[in-house]
Amino acid sequence: MNVGTPEPLLSIRGLKVEFSTRHGKVTALDGIDLDLMPGETLGVVGESGCGKSITALATMGLIPDPPGRIAGGHVLFDGEDITRADPRRLRSLRGADISMIFQEPMTSLNPVFTAGDQIAEAIMLHQSAGKAEADRMAVELLRTVGIPEPERRSRSYPHELSGGMRQRVMIAMAISCRPRILIADEPTTALDVTVQAQIFDLMRDIQRQFSVAIMLITHDMGAIAEMADRVAVMYAGRIVEKGTADEILDHPLHPYTRGLIGCIPVLGKEAGEEGRMPPLAEIPGIVPPLHLLGRGCAFADRCPLAFDRCRAESPALEGGAHKVACFAAEMEAA
Amino acid sequence: MTAGTLLDVKDLSVRFVMPRRSPFGGRPMLHAVRDVSFSLRPGRTLGLVGESGSGKTTTAMAAIRLLEAHSGAVMFDGVDLLKLDAEAMRRHRRHLQVIFQDPYSSLNPRERVGAIVREPLDLMMPGTSRAERTERVGELFGLVGLRPDQMALFPHQFSGGQRQRVSIARALATNPRLVVCDEPVSALDVAIQAQILNLLRRLQDEYGLSYLFISHDLGVVQFICDDIAVMYLGQIVEYSDRPSLFSRPRHPYTAALLAAAPSLARRKSAGYVREGAVKGDPPSPLNIPPGCAFASRCPRVQPKCLKERPLLVRDGGGSVACHYPLA
Repeated sequence: MNVGTPEPLLSIRGLKVEFSTRHGKVTALDGIDLDLMPGETLGVVGESGCGKSITALATMGLIPDPPGRIAGGHVLFDGEDITRADPRRLRSLRGADISMIFQEPMTSLNPVFTAGDQIAEAIMLHQSAGKAEADRMAVELLRTVGIPEPERRSRSYPHELSGGMRQRVMIAMAISCRPRILIADEPTTALDVTVQAQIFDLMRDIQRQFSVAIMLITHDMGAIAEMADRVAVMYAGRIVEKGTADEILDHPLHPYTRGLIGCIPVLGKEAGEEGRMPPLAEIPGIVPPLHLLGRGCAFADRCPLAFDRCRAESPALEGGAHKVACFAAEMEAA
Repeated sequence: MTAGTLLDVKDLSVRFVMPRRSPFGGRPMLHAVRDVSFSLRPGRTLGLVGESGSGKTTTAMAAIRLLEAHSGAVMFDGVDLLKLDAEAMRRHRRHLQVIFQDPYSSLNPRERVGAIVREPLDLMMPGTSRAERTERVGELFGLVGLRPDQMALFPHQFSGGQRQRVSIARALATNPRLVVCDEPVSALDVAIQAQILNLLRRLQDEYGLSYLFISHDLGVVQFICDDIAVMYLGQIVEYSDRPSLFSRPRHPYTAALLAAAPSLARRKSAGYVREGAVKGDPPSPLNIPPGCAFASRCPRVQPKCLKERPLLVRDGGGSVACHYPLA
């Protein structure tokens, strides 16, 4: 590989996913382009329903079909198209090369098996290890993810563990086969803030130690700042802005990104002694239902800068390293 | 009670009797809230902050008698709510309202939202005509940013943010003086959170409402609260006004919370490494350690912390319960 221009590990091109619903066919993802470089963290951010979790599921080859369907585009992992892989090949990729941690660690762990058994299962499935060897490796992994007394905890059932420990078990399972990509779908939403900080710190350690590329799906711009190298902002099934985390946070171009950053009560900016904090920026309205999207920009109805063209045609994602899909931003730049 | 206080909570404790672990064992006692005291002035917001299990919701619910307190006093406008008989308490309820966390489960799905908002008026405002009450509902809808023609709809026809507006309209129907906001924005998307937070603050300014605001999100608390009580395992560990708490936290737990909260200023690109992170999980409220409850996770723990429970003492502008508070 040429050192100057590293190849992306994961390359999503023109990905389109459709779902059949009672409102007819809706387009959940509409031509997504994303690259994940080796060892980096890509943040995918947006409100509920923007398509960020569907992007993750498509990457794992986990779109439920029916009602879902990949209607176009490719997901290339190391040059191999996941959207065309057969189920057997997908099974060997999942867990081994690409693994995932989910939002709710309680519902993603099997309540009738111990933590150690569940980690060992993944190891035995993908590596030529016997039960005893896998058990020993499971204990080692629990130690790696910072669980105290790993020998004892490996014999615990999920209900005997706290939320933070369960998420650590999930992470241990996810890294058990040294994956090259870790997809984390809102991994800390169900956790308390001090535990969230521990999990984020652990994910950063894991990344340094195993040089795994992370796709972090979140609605939290604070998590993006702390964790991500690059960011894609999604809205109604499209990427509306893409760039480095610093570019996106310091010089957001899309009115939606600006709104998302402005509407967070930012910790630390303290008003005067008896003064009050200034009102938060608001994005009026709500995300439109996918079956009601028209021809124009999906954000036009909530956008303070929208003009006629925004309602007539949909802007393409354009630009150099920092891309944006917005006619108003285009005019601003010109 | 000092003059100009609306709500004055003194040494409030709440205990729950848990089921027996074995047929021969006793019933374990869960000490959910232990000797909590705070006061709230009219037109102000007091934040109760803490992680899950810290007792913040239990404290607020016991203060307005939606849960039974074990001991303590809750002076509301000069009357001890905990000593009122049922009928007198019922008459007081119109001054005490609640906005709940989950706008999906806190509205009756079989009732039209107009009726949901009118119900407190039907119950608490005898002597008014139905037409007057319906007119008041229309007024409330306008106040929270809903259209009066939406009164005939059912909750499922609204988005989460709009449902929370219905909850707010219902809470304001009887012109309450104290509104308990129990994590009112944590179930909402970030963009919608801002709409609701701005609305709550505008309503406070217009009607002089007092909020008891429960949240785990320090960004939200910093935005809306004037005074803050940080709770840990059923006790207040630090109690202070907003500027001093955020600029100069005294309790190591407060400092840890601030360090853990995501902020746009902490950048991976700048090589951010968290300082003062705490390890582990809070201890169980069934088995409270003898010394400081935070000792097992505290980065500054000393031998004394494991033996002696620190009391909440005045210290500068606020109060802190720590043997070795931060400078």
